[in-house]
Amino acid sequence: MPVLLKAAGIIVNPSTNNVVVSVQSVSKIYRMGEVDVPALRDSSIDIYTGEFLIIVGPSGSGKSTLLNLIGGMDRPTSGRIIFDGKDMSRASDSDLTLFRRLQVGFIFQFYNLVPTLTALENVQVAVELVPDPMDPMEALSMVQLEDRADHFPSQLSGGQQQRVSIARALAGNPSLLLCDEPTGALDIETSRQVLGLLVNLSRNLGKTVVLITHNGAIAKAGDRVARIRDGTIASIERNESPTPVEEIRW
Amino acid sequence: MVNRVLARKLVRDLLQRKGALIALVAIVAVGVGVFAGMSAVYKDLDGARERYYSRHHFADFTVDLKRAPEWTVEIVERLPNVRAVRGRIQQSVLVDLETRVQPLPGMALSLPNERRSIINGVMMRSGTWFSDDEADEVILDYQFAQANHLEPGDRIKVLLLDKQHDLLIVGTAMSPEFVYLIPPGGGLSPDPAGYAVMYLPRKFLQHSSDLNGSYNQLVGLSYDTTRRALEDTLVLIKEQLEPYGVTNTVPIQDQPSASILRDELRNIKTTARIFPVIFLGVAALVLNILMRRMVAQHRVIVGTLRALGYSSWAITRHYLGHGLIVGAIGGISGAAFGWWLQGAMLGLYRQFFAMPGIERHFHIGIFAVGCAIALFFALIGAIRGSRNAAKLEPAEAMRPPPPEKGGRVLPERIPFFWNRLSFQWKMIFRAVFRNPFRSSVSMIASAVATALLVASFSMYDSTYFMIDYHFEKSSHQDLTLSLRDPEGMRSLSEARGLPSVSYAEAQLDVMCDMRNGPYHKRTVVTALPRNTVLYTPLDRNGTKVVMPAGGVILTRKLSEILNVDVGGRIKLRPLIARREEVMAPVVGIVDTYFGLSAYCGIHYLSTLLGEYRVANSLLAATYPGAFTRSLMEQIRRRPKIISITERLRALKQMDETMGNFMGTFFFVMVLFAGIIAFGSMLNTALVSLSEREREVGTFRVLGYSSGQVTRIFSGESFLLNGMGIVLGLGLGIGIAHLLSLAFNTELYRFPAVILPSRLAASAALMAVFVGFAQLIVYRMIRGLQWLEVLKVKE
Repeated sequence: MPVLLKAAGIIVNPSTNNVVVSVQSVSKIYRMGEVDVPALRDSSIDIYTGEFLIIVGPSGSGKSTLLNLIGGMDRPTSGRIIFDGKDMSRASDSDLTLFRRLQVGFIFQFYNLVPTLTALENVQVAVELVPDPMDPMEALSMVQLEDRADHFPSQLSGGQQQRVSIARALAGNPSLLLCDEPTGALDIETSRQVLGLLVNLSRNLGKTVVLITHNGAIAKAGDRVARIRDGTIASIERNESPTPVEEIRW
Repeated sequence: MVNRVLARKLVRDLLQRKGALIALVAIVAVGVGVFAGMSAVYKDLDGARERYYSRHHFADFTVDLKRAPEWTVEIVERLPNVRAVRGRIQQSVLVDLETRVQPLPGMALSLPNERRSIINGVMMRSGTWFSDDEADEVILDYQFAQANHLEPGDRIKVLLLDKQHDLLIVGTAMSPEFVYLIPPGGGLSPDPAGYAVMYLPRKFLQHSSDLNGSYNQLVGLSYDTTRRALEDTLVLIKEQLEPYGVTNTVPIQDQPSASILRDELRNIKTTARIFPVIFLGVAALVLNILMRRMVAQHRVIVGTLRALGYSSWAITRHYLGHGLIVGAIGGISGAAFGWWLQGAMLGLYRQFFAMPGIERHFHIGIFAVGCAIALFFALIGAIRGSRNAAKLEPAEAMRPPPPEKGGRVLPERIPFFWNRLSFQWKMIFRAVFRNPFRSSVSMIASAVATALLVASFSMYDSTYFMIDYHFEKSSHQDLTLSLRDPEGMRSLSEARGLPSVSYAEAQLDVMCDMRNGPYHKRTVVTALPRNTVLYTPLDRNGTKVVMPAGGVILTRKLSEILNVDVGGRIKLRPLIARREEVMAPVVGIVDTYFGLSAYCGIHYLSTLLGEYRVANSLLAATYPGAFTRSLMEQIRRRPKIISITERLRALKQMDETMGNFMGTFFFVMVLFAGIIAFGSMLNTALVSLSEREREVGTFRVLGYSSGQVTRIFSGESFLLNGMGIVLGLGLGIGIAHLLSLAFNTELYRFPAVILPSRLAASAALMAVFVGFAQLIVYRMIRGLQWLEVLKVKE
């Protein structure tokens, strides 16, 4: 439904009434040996259905911490993370596991594909646990890799590997796609392809995509841009006319 | 020169993996411990044996005769290869003890009237020597006296031929002849309380045995004591003494105590050789895997060290040091374990063997060799990893390793099979086939551990099978009454008339010479009536051997020795009575587990003795409710009865000794199998896990729970160990059969008893070990900081 509405230009992003995840006054303090290292302080942000949110910040600013908290890979020290009316910061380990399984698709800088599985099988890994998944082959064709289905990661280029990891993230039909520096290990041309693919997923398929990067140039492609510095969200801007990926200069 | 910082790194590297290393060190320790412990036991036991034999001049050969005048000893003394001989009297006796209802069988041997160094001398344990050559005094076997609470000063009633003597016990003694005393008809284990060995003054025994001025047994020493030389010498002696009725000749190799002790020593030596090879071999393989993984993880560190100017030799030395430390700790703990094992085993042997001087000595050489072997194997295990480290060029080492190769593995060529696998199993198969070395080691270690279990179970079951076969399946009598000489069937009627005897059967056992051309063997022929119920010789299938009217049935082993088949003929000559030689047709061959017997009809053998139907033992079944005093009274009045054996008593005796021993043996074997299985499983699983931490992280992010991830990883372990277990079951069955071949002696043939339930139990035990190792893997996966792992580029 939102896909059609968006395509018809009837609703514009972000739609205020469709919050997927609400991050409320969240802090995260890591204990490194004897000292406490605050990674994130009192940060709040709502993530809306179908939007392409980009979180920009220098390395060590806390953006990965925020993404991990959103994705249920970690629990905040204080604050609340509400998903579907439920406070994920109080969820049990098995609830978090279930959340990741059913609601989140993750895309990493270094792809994290299983080297002993082919492209198709790497997608199947994600599909296995989900009740109503996408056909793995369909997911691969969405990233235009159906002809490489039988290749092992070591037989694929970096960009192709990242596309497999996107297909893997998509295949479980998650509510959220979380991307941690997805272009960080890629050359410019390949980065552009991967980014284009992610934009496409959001614009044309209505996927909610959250992407973190230290690269300010990429930020122009998002619907909204959150800037993070020293563990706090410094600003959140709405991007009324996102720059097409082809026009982004690195 | 050892760099101190590197040495510190080495120690910390090892501490980081202490769990896996302890499991590995345990394998090394078992190998070294069994080597050092058993080698030391061999030395101590063999030393005790040699000292005992030489101090008391244990005879190299024994000749039994009917009766030879004392002067004939000088004839024998002049024969080649005879160093010294002594003639003595050996006489069966019955002993009456107030503490026992039934008289005990026993054997009296003569000793000279003054105490001096003689062949088959005795070691006095208490009391004094005889006061006179004709005194009615006795020196009792030490163990018998102990077991029956007799001591010097007590008196004992001994029935010699047909006269009862009331003898004064003057001392107790031990002899190398009876280190492992098995009473006739008593099975396989010693029974010191139930068989009375005693020594009497020579003249007294001559007189009461009706052998004045004569002897009936010759014991002697030789220069060349090899079996062949002794047998040649015995042939000469037999020719010289033929007129005096030679009934049996025994070289030391066949002396019961000596051969059992020798076999045991040989087993100890074999164990001391085989175990270390297995355990240290597996340890070296596992260490190899561990070291290569460690070096792979240290890639950047090695590169940095090389960049700092460390030579490749310094790097090699550093990583060899890891192996050296594993070897050293394993060697030292193995030596400690060996020291304990040596004490425990010697304690066990002190119970088994009546021999003085079984004491633990510290053999520094053996322990040093044990440690050296451990170091050697550990260095072998570390060498590949060290070389990998040394080969790394600094610039190359600082870069991440080349990506893991993809590509198809073998099972993928079978699409029918492959396409049916879930992605988990595809992962597992690929991991297995892409690490052929590690996979093989996992499988080998599992197979070895399984085989150890199967072979141990088989040993255990085979032993009990033999006991059951001998005491329960073929024998059903309650009592065996042995007669001094073959008697007519009147004695059978008499036996049947004894109080509380419900039924009795006759049996005739005669030592015979058998000859087929150049092949020759002297053995006992057992003659039975046609349809016996109390003693029913069985073949290996459990089928009753039916006594033929004419001709003999040979056991398989005997037929092989004589090189004869069914339809052939052998020359058969009994060694008693008329001693007539006949050509006996071989009418059957049976496979049995015990002895080298031959069987025939009782009438047939009686005829050869020049009699109609005679027997020299009577088997009796009694009414339930044990043997009454009146039965024993009756037996005591019959001097023709020289011994009584209770089947159930012998069985109980056997059960006790064996049960204890086999129980301990089995427990130790399970422990060893567990150590080898668990040590290798844990190490390979942890190495595999450390290589694939990133995959664990990925799966966790994708929403797999720790349990689900563990299942994927355990699959590899289960697959490899499963195949190892299947291989091990086969290997174990093979080893059990090899053992049964190795124990294929004239005394007994050890069957390879393999029960399906035991195979299942072995597999189940292994599954427990695998499960336990996986539990540790599960805990590791649960505790893994997977988020961190994913962030770092390898």
